[in-house]
Amino acid sequence: MASTSYLEGIRQGIWEEMERDPSVFCLGEDIGIYGGAFKVTDGFIERFGPERVVDTPIAESAIVGAAFGASLTGLRPVAEFQFMDFIGCAFNQITNMLAKAHYRWGAPAPVVIRGPSGGGVHGGPFHSQNPEMYFVHTPGLKVVCPGTAYDAKGLIKSAIRDNNPVIFFEHKFLYRRIKEDLPAEDYTVPIGKARVARQGRDLSIITYAAMLHVALEAAEILAKEGIELEVVDLRTLLPLDREAIATTVRHTNKVIILHEDTRTGGIAGEVAALINEEAFDDLDGPIVRITSRDTPVPFSPPLEDYFLPKVADVIREARRLKSY
Amino acid sequence: MAKKSSTSKKAGANGRRPLKSAPKSAARNGNLSGERRYTIPDYRLESFDCAVRQVASDDGVRYEVTGDLSAPVPPIRESKSLSPRQCLEIYRWMLLNRKMEQALENLYKQGKVVGGVYFGLGQEACSCASAYALCPEDWLAPMIRNQGSLLVRGFSARDVMMQYMAKAGSPTFGKDASSHFGDQQKRNVCAPISTLGDLIPVMAGVALGARLQGRNIAALTYIGDGGQSTGVTYEGLNFAAVQKLGLVLIVENNLWGYSTPSDMQFRVKDLAERAIAYGIPGAIVDGTDACQVYDVVHDACERARRGEGPTLIEAKMMRMKGHAIHDAAEYVPKPLFEYWRKRDPIARLEKFLLERKWLTAKQNEELIAGVDGELEADREFAVNSPMPDPEKTPQNVYCDGCHEIKPKYGVPKAGSGKGSGKPKQGEAAVHLR
Ligand SMILES: Cc1ncc(C[n+]2csc(CCOP(=O)(O)OP(=O)(O)O)c2C)c(N)n1
Ligand SMILES: [Mg+2]
Repeated sequence: MASTSYLEGIRQGIWEEMERDPSVFCLGEDIGIYGGAFKVTDGFIERFGPERVVDTPIAESAIVGAAFGASLTGLRPVAEFQFMDFIGCAFNQITNMLAKAHYRWGAPAPVVIRGPSGGGVHGGPFHSQNPEMYFVHTPGLKVVCPGTAYDAKGLIKSAIRDNNPVIFFEHKFLYRRIKEDLPAEDYTVPIGKARVARQGRDLSIITYAAMLHVALEAAEILAKEGIELEVVDLRTLLPLDREAIATTVRHTNKVIILHEDTRTGGIAGEVAALINEEAFDDLDGPIVRITSRDTPVPFSPPLEDYFLPKVADVIREARRLKSY
Repeated sequence: MAKKSSTSKKAGANGRRPLKSAPKSAARNGNLSGERRYTIPDYRLESFDCAVRQVASDDGVRYEVTGDLSAPVPPIRESKSLSPRQCLEIYRWMLLNRKMEQALENLYKQGKVVGGVYFGLGQEACSCASAYALCPEDWLAPMIRNQGSLLVRGFSARDVMMQYMAKAGSPTFGKDASSHFGDQQKRNVCAPISTLGDLIPVMAGVALGARLQGRNIAALTYIGDGGQSTGVTYEGLNFAAVQKLGLVLIVENNLWGYSTPSDMQFRVKDLAERAIAYGIPGAIVDGTDACQVYDVVHDACERARRGEGPTLIEAKMMRMKGHAIHDAAEYVPKPLFEYWRKRDPIARLEKFLLERKWLTAKQNEELIAGVDGELEADREFAVNSPMPDPEKTPQNVYCDGCHEIKPKYGVPKAGSGKGSGKPKQGEAAVHLR
């Protein structure tokens, strides 16, 4: 089967779910005739009609609220955000309305909120953010951040089939940059399960989304000097896969946590705390964090390059930790 | 025993059973005695009565325009307050605005721009003439298409070019792009963020802050036909209306919000009608006629400076390019472009000035050459200026004393009420203990 991009994987996933289940529908800005700012829903309106591909006014709070409302009538809405940077506009609906509905009054909220996040494309402070941690801090939500085309497709399908609100962060740097062969048959990837993306014995690197590829590239280089990295792709940030995190630490005894999100309050802190709880005795060195700087995402390429974690950072820290 | 209904349709608490089909909406009966009338002045010398809808055909779903697109181009409306010299100045700003964006397009094609480029093509009258109506102590907050407003407010084309090229010397030192910059100290310009509508309450707050310091000022900002759908637009306008703040909001109805036609964005005929619901004055202008734009904004600013509250102005025009440089706008029905191309704001103002002999052909040539020269110098400077030093990335997240915070307009009065000068003592009604 022809190689499929990350973006195409998401497209296929939504398309197939819409074919399979008539209760799935999409809503969002410019998703109809235009096919969405990144063309994820290109051709959907032709196939499913304007009833199931709803081009909305620019009103994120209304999009999320209406998605929840439609879910109360038994549907499974998939709401597109043109950029996840704008998710703050719907923050209250997501964190107070959707996230608490089942706990408070027994109403499930099978809503998917999806869209592009992440930097590396010189999009500046409002088209590059990684806002996942606002939502990881909210019980009732699930937060998914795929790093491969296979996972993107399998996880969007799981997100649509899930009975809970899922915030699905697509990484725009990966959209058209990575490709792989996908199975022809229907498959899903479970939410809440991490994946060992590369096996290694010397130290573990726990990461997700675009940074998965930075970790894999560093692992390739380090292997040549005899340092074997084990790369764990979290895939889901909420709920975290405690077992997978503990297992890799028990296996290698040294761990780096790498993410593109900014440092303070990033998932690395949570993962480190979890390691402390689950596998403290297995650690043979300090837990190392590699993250973006604690600043807004700057626009200018030299600034953004400085801001983002790089392969060289991973190599440097891995060598240091190996010899600890 | 009651017979079971043959269908699953049970009566509700009100005794009603669900209807098989949707009810027909009852026609409003005209209760003339209770009818209310409001007026929204429309300063245009023509009206544009067309609609864009989604139509499905064998070769897919697309947009179609219906209505009469054959009307002749109206003249520029005589301004009641602009002098010939002022008209000429606005004309020059508009030229600079357009030619700067042409230069940006060329820089983009030469690979010198980081990211995309946004254009205000066809909207130069709206940006430039509105900003021209401000006094120095007033405030401006531009949106992405109001690069011309920034020029009028005292920034140079060099600033905008350096923003797009992400240079160290750009107004944001390479930290943000496009029209995303401001100047809190001197020019009274608030930088926008991308999320649409968020400037509206901010500009209401600017007017509130100035009023606390004993000054009524005008605070001008813009929102698109698309962006006005956001909730924050309502909050900001209502806040300004209730507090009688000198907000001047121009709704730039350019018929498109990215790929979405305004017919899919709102249901009122004219967005200026929204003013009625806020309880504030509204007006409609031809956004391609600089004199109309100036006059109406001028009046709204005067109202603001008299402390009479906000004004909502709808400027009708057309976005004459795609959303940004990456967008070929193939979804826009071609006849719409043809109609609006004839209403080019610069060509019409030029004709008006020449006909009136406020500008001779020779002066016009000189003026254009002057604009070109200025832009070439700015382009040269911007292209040759350095990129930022990466080590500066972590700087300036916080103000650690680098700015002085002090009232801009005067010290607010300590107290204007008749209280005792002490906070009230007493048992508050607290329900969470
Ligand atoms: C809250 C929010 N949602 C979505 C976007 C993405 N977006 C940027 S511009 C735009 C269209 C804006 O249309 P309009 O307000 O009519 O302004 P125009 O581009 O026509 O000047 C959209 C959807 C955004 N910037 N902010
Ligand atoms: Mg618009």
